[in-house]
Amino acid sequence: MTTPMLEIRDLHVRIEEREILKGVNLVVPKGEVHAIMGRNGSGKSTLSYVLAGKEDYEVTGGEVLLDGVNILEMEPSERATAGLFLAFQYPIEIPGVATMTFLKAALNAKRKANGEGELSTPDFMRAVKEAGSALHIDSDMLKRALNVGFSGGEKKRAEILQMALLKPKMCILDETDSGLDIDALQVVSHGVNALRDPNRSMLVITHYQRLLNHIVPDVVHVFSDGRVVESGGKELALELEAKGYAGFDEVAA
Amino acid sequence: MTMHVPVRLGPAELKLIEQLSAAGAVAAAERLGGAGLPTRRVEAYHYTDLKLLLRAVPELAGAAEAASAPALRVAGAYQLMIANGVVQETGTAPAGVIVGKSAGSVLTTRDDVVTRLNLALTRECLTLDLDGSVDPVIQIDRRTEGAAGHSTSAAKIFVADGGSAVILETYSGSEAAHLGNHATYLALGKGAKVTHITVNLAAKAATHFASNEYHLAEGAQLRTLIINAGGALSRTQLFPRYEGAGAHADVTGLNLVSDGQHSDITMDALHAVPHTSSKPLFKSIARGRSKAVVQGRLVVARDAQKTDAKLMSQGLMLSDEAEILVKPELEIYADDVVCGHGSTCGRLDDESLFYLTSRGIEKGEAETMLVRAFLAELVDPIEDAALNEALTAVIEGWLAGK
Repeated sequence: MTTPMLEIRDLHVRIEEREILKGVNLVVPKGEVHAIMGRNGSGKSTLSYVLAGKEDYEVTGGEVLLDGVNILEMEPSERATAGLFLAFQYPIEIPGVATMTFLKAALNAKRKANGEGELSTPDFMRAVKEAGSALHIDSDMLKRALNVGFSGGEKKRAEILQMALLKPKMCILDETDSGLDIDALQVVSHGVNALRDPNRSMLVITHYQRLLNHIVPDVVHVFSDGRVVESGGKELALELEAKGYAGFDEVAA
Repeated sequence: MTMHVPVRLGPAELKLIEQLSAAGAVAAAERLGGAGLPTRRVEAYHYTDLKLLLRAVPELAGAAEAASAPALRVAGAYQLMIANGVVQETGTAPAGVIVGKSAGSVLTTRDDVVTRLNLALTRECLTLDLDGSVDPVIQIDRRTEGAAGHSTSAAKIFVADGGSAVILETYSGSEAAHLGNHATYLALGKGAKVTHITVNLAAKAATHFASNEYHLAEGAQLRTLIINAGGALSRTQLFPRYEGAGAHADVTGLNLVSDGQHSDITMDALHAVPHTSSKPLFKSIARGRSKAVVQGRLVVARDAQKTDAKLMSQGLMLSDEAEILVKPELEIYADDVVCGHGSTCGRLDDESLFYLTSRGIEKGEAETMLVRAFLAELVDPIEDAALNEALTAVIEGWLAGK
């Protein structure tokens, strides 16, 4: 049996006194795209932050294996260079940090971790231009400070651009559809679909079914009250859309 | 009846009084003897209590015999040097520059001990007359060399109507507990455009005082960048005077303080006539057990209608023991002005750090990126590439812990 790309075993997480994740179990095999659906406040975003290594959360139990390696003790930067990527629901605006400087630093960090030398400027420019054109990202946008003054759609496209450049093994997309109009949703979805690969897995976290029309998942998990309560094929998303989350709360209870 | 309680004088005050008396500055000596050095009760020195902080004053510096390495080199700059207060001979001046010297100091008299000391003790000043568009960066390199010495210096710069120049002043010297007290008088003619940068790279144990007086005529445009990076105790005083309609200054400054340092930038600005504007922006980065002080006083005269002045101070604390002390003062006598002040202070933003590290960038590098980002606003407007590079090197050196 091959090692799954991501395996979460009985993950318990709390913020201060409140338990947010109450025993999450999830396996994403290599090359598959899984979706997590759940209502607001069910713990979906917490899961994404915990996987990426945000400090504010206390992991009280469980394991997270990325390609067979437990990442819970790793720094966020180590998780990233190990191949994990979180596309943020709300990408952070950082005035004074040029987008290109940031992209180069991120790419070189990954190369350094892999024992490779720094990318030459022409090679770097070429890579950004290629990845950018598919996402309708022009050089004007790249000249600005990181995410500063970007529209909602631009921010999400910039996230996918980073993903395309960093070529992670495991992508977590947190509410990537939020704040997107139909056109932007299509561009972003195309960008994501273009990155589907037998050696890359994705976990698409969403509130609405509509994103899953564009990024069609292999498996859908329903998240409720800090755990996965139901898993199934993509039709599960449609069922959710029809019945709402209420029907699944009873399963949880 | 006012009760006169004699002030107890410490060794620093006694030494200064001795030096003032020897220089024939009887009134200044008496004044210091009566009041002592300013304490926190003197508003302008509220966070920089000189009586407490200035414990010893070295002997007046003699002539410099050897020179240390230049503190900062800028490719293509025209260099002038004042060593231990003495204006040094220089090579051929570039077009539009007349270099000279004259007796005495340059500052306007005011009720301020640092100013008074400079006025009383400075023997000669460097004079610069700049006409037209002066091409190379002009660097005034002020050194205090040899054994620990009390050294005062002065420079007087006139920029003719319509002229433009970039002036860099650097302060450094041998590694000793010097007391430097430096003055600059910079007058901008009508429509003149000047960038004035000062970089305090004084020795670790040194005390550094600098007073910069700016006079802006009609339509004059000034940008300053005042960097305090050296010295155990530093205070840079800025006195911009907006004296002609349309005069504008971006007065910017930066305190970089590490363990054991105390750096102060104090601005006392006067908008004297209608239709002038200023955008003072001061930043401080403090690490270790250190103190950074920013005081900004904006005085708008009664006639100075339509003054537009916005004072901003931002602090970044990189340790729990660091202190950043900020005090704005607005004194507005006109009734049709737009004046404001703001202040922020904090640590590096956790969300931004997480975002950068989540992309594989190591925490230390991510922190450096954010610090650079914090400073970009100050350094980016410096257009001269070689100068920008030199200033960036000063900042990077500090960040790297040098």
